Amino acid sequence: MSDLVNVTIDGVQISVPKGTPIIEAAKQAGVLVPHYCYHPSLPSPAVCRMCLVEVEKAPKLVPACVTTVADGNVIHVNNDKSKRARESVLEFLLINHPLDCPICDQAGECELQDYTFQEGRAGTRYSDYAKRYNPVEDFGPDVLYVANRCILCTRCVRFMDNVAGDAVLNVSERGDRAFIGIDPDHLLDHPWAGNVVDLCPVGSLISKDFLHKARAWDLDKTASVCTGCSQGCNTMIDTRDDVVVRLRPRPNLDVNRHFICDEGRADYRWMNRGDRIEAPLVRDGAKLTPTDWDHAVERLGALAKTARRVVILASGRASTESLGFVRRMVDGATVTAAIKVPLGPEAPLAGVPNLALRKERVPNLAGAGLLGYGAEWPAAVAAVKGADLVVVLDAVLDDADVAALAGAAAVVVIGTVDDDRLAGATLILPSTNVAEENGTFVNRDHRVQRYFQAKPAPGLARPAWWIAAEATHAARGLAAPATAAEAFAALGAMVPALAGLSYADLGHTGRVVSPTTAGAAR
Amino acid sequence: MTGSTHAHADAPHHPVFVGKVREQLDALFPKYPTKQACLLPALWMVQEARGWISPAAIAEVAEVLGLTPAYVRGVATFYTMYHLHPVGRHFIQVCGTSPCHLCGSDEVLKAILGATGCGELGATSADGRFTVVEVECLGACGFATPVLIDDDFHDSVTPERVAGILARYP
Ligand code: SF4
Ligand code: SF4
Ligand code: FES
Repeated sequence: MSDLVNVTIDGVQISVPKGTPIIEAAKQAGVLVPHYCYHPSLPSPAVCRMCLVEVEKAPKLVPACVTTVADGNVIHVNNDKSKRARESVLEFLLINHPLDCPICDQAGECELQDYTFQEGRAGTRYSDYAKRYNPVEDFGPDVLYVANRCILCTRCVRFMDNVAGDAVLNVSERGDRAFIGIDPDHLLDHPWAGNVVDLCPVGSLISKDFLHKARAWDLDKTASVCTGCSQGCNTMIDTRDDVVVRLRPRPNLDVNRHFICDEGRADYRWMNRGDRIEAPLVRDGAKLTPTDWDHAVERLGALAKTARRVVILASGRASTESLGFVRRMVDGATVTAAIKVPLGPEAPLAGVPNLALRKERVPNLAGAGLLGYGAEWPAAVAAVKGADLVVVLDAVLDDADVAALAGAAAVVVIGTVDDDRLAGATLILPSTNVAEENGTFVNRDHRVQRYFQAKPAPGLARPAWWIAAEATHAARGLAAPATAAEAFAALGAMVPALAGLSYADLGHTGRVVSPTTAGAAR
Repeated sequence: MTGSTHAHADAPHHPVFVGKVREQLDALFPKYPTKQACLLPALWMVQEARGWISPAAIAEVAEVLGLTPAYVRGVATFYTMYHLHPVGRHFIQVCGTSPCHLCGSDEVLKAILGATGCGELGATSADGRFTVVEVECLGACGFATPVLIDDDFHDSVTPERVAGILARYP
């Protein structure tokens, strides 16, 4: 193809589209060009000079972040000349850097630390000079600015200006006095402002919420999907000793690029709740007795098999697998199924098309839709009266909802958090939350996305799909999937849109399926 | 800068860009491709009118040019010639670069700091009359020591001439 050019980077020959910046071409060749100001989701100002590389026949080193490849380029990222340039840049950056890594939250995931360790000078030539000192500043609800650590890459300024469209940050002063300034009358309170903390390559912009909570090397990272709204931003759950301590964006260029909103970022404490249901409880006369799963699923299966009018009140955070198998458990009955959808104000991120904190604050609205769950909550609650069976699938009920449950012959709770108000139920069965299971959500654009288990489930808790499938197996002899992957593969039989899809097809960034039940996977 | 009025940081802000000054700015717009490009002249106009550029004035400039206050502040802090704090009625700049230094600019500076009552660099005299700063090359190395008072250029200043020159700036 004529719009491809051939280049050689550190001896690796590749073809890339014309107009590709060297830094991206190098990535494809498996070569990392160290960089600070460049970020794939921001415009490039080429201010840090860290990415200087040698291009044969060019008179001097060129910045790889803004120089595009030309046919026949022979580029050296890791030769002496390029390395010496980086060493010099690092030396400049460290003249005023406090080197307070032992008390810096970024340590362990800091690009200044990493590159200096990799190829910086072992010592300093400036030990006789005092370092510049500026106090720590409070930038907003969740952001502190530690000016002394700042390397002035301007990523934060560009994010607020070019992406958030709320230019409250600037570069103030100049030369070695320069620092990041904030409009004194404004805070960094844009609904997406927290991203500057992730964008900052050093520990200069830090999260108050995460301040001194954990060292980076003590964290385990698990790919997940935000449960905050129907956008379905890809996230990384960071756990320390099986406690979720932080959510961060995970890149997905088609959904959230490199960003998540502040509301989604802060929405993790519930994953650590200690007031959990930990063993299956079954009613024997007046009291609920803890039991094992064999007995519990048998009781559930029997209830589900004989019920003729069933209502399912589900959480919008339930996985597609769980929604599917709970629905299948009551096949044959007349079923009213709905999820509860809390609403909130929409908050778009101006610079990224089709990215917003959505009004519908549940992650699996579309998945529920595919499986026949409506969003008409009041109607579903009204249908409880006279029903043979109500299945509460981890839904957060208000007092009126709870009162309505009295109208049903039997109530089964499959849930995470222990709720005294539901003590009249026939069965209370412990299920896992999003951080404790593998599963999928379908976002508003019908992208089916996987999330992974980040920490162990409490007590005997099991994924709701497992509970429902085992009950169906016990009552009707239908095969029950043993893993989330099998559960997902089996959904194809219930929803044509998912037919033929497997977890492997979804990968880490998901797959868009046709919203109509007739369509197949794209 | 001549005739600038001394202002206090806590005084209420009266808009700069009204009447004549507004007309001046409007006349500039067609000369530049964008309003943003008029930022430096707009800041000069503020400084001319008020003697310094207050946070409220920064907000006004931002408003008038369709920029954000943070952006305007970033630009204003980049250039040392904009005053972001109130200064005296007369702003004195003394060259301290090597050639002038060799010719005794230190002594001139000392004399000026003493005679004005400023005492130290960057400070404003108690009567609000003067602020003195040292600057790099004023481009008049052949006439050491050059001193800029407001927009007036004084060459070959010596400690002896200081009192006489200052007397012209009430
Ligand atoms: S605060 Fe961080 S992101 Fe902002 S300029 Fe400094 S180093 Fe870069
Ligand atoms: S926009 Fe929605 S999905 Fe994305 S981070 Fe915010 S709450 Fe989560
Ligand atoms: S990454 Fe290229 S100059 Fe900063």
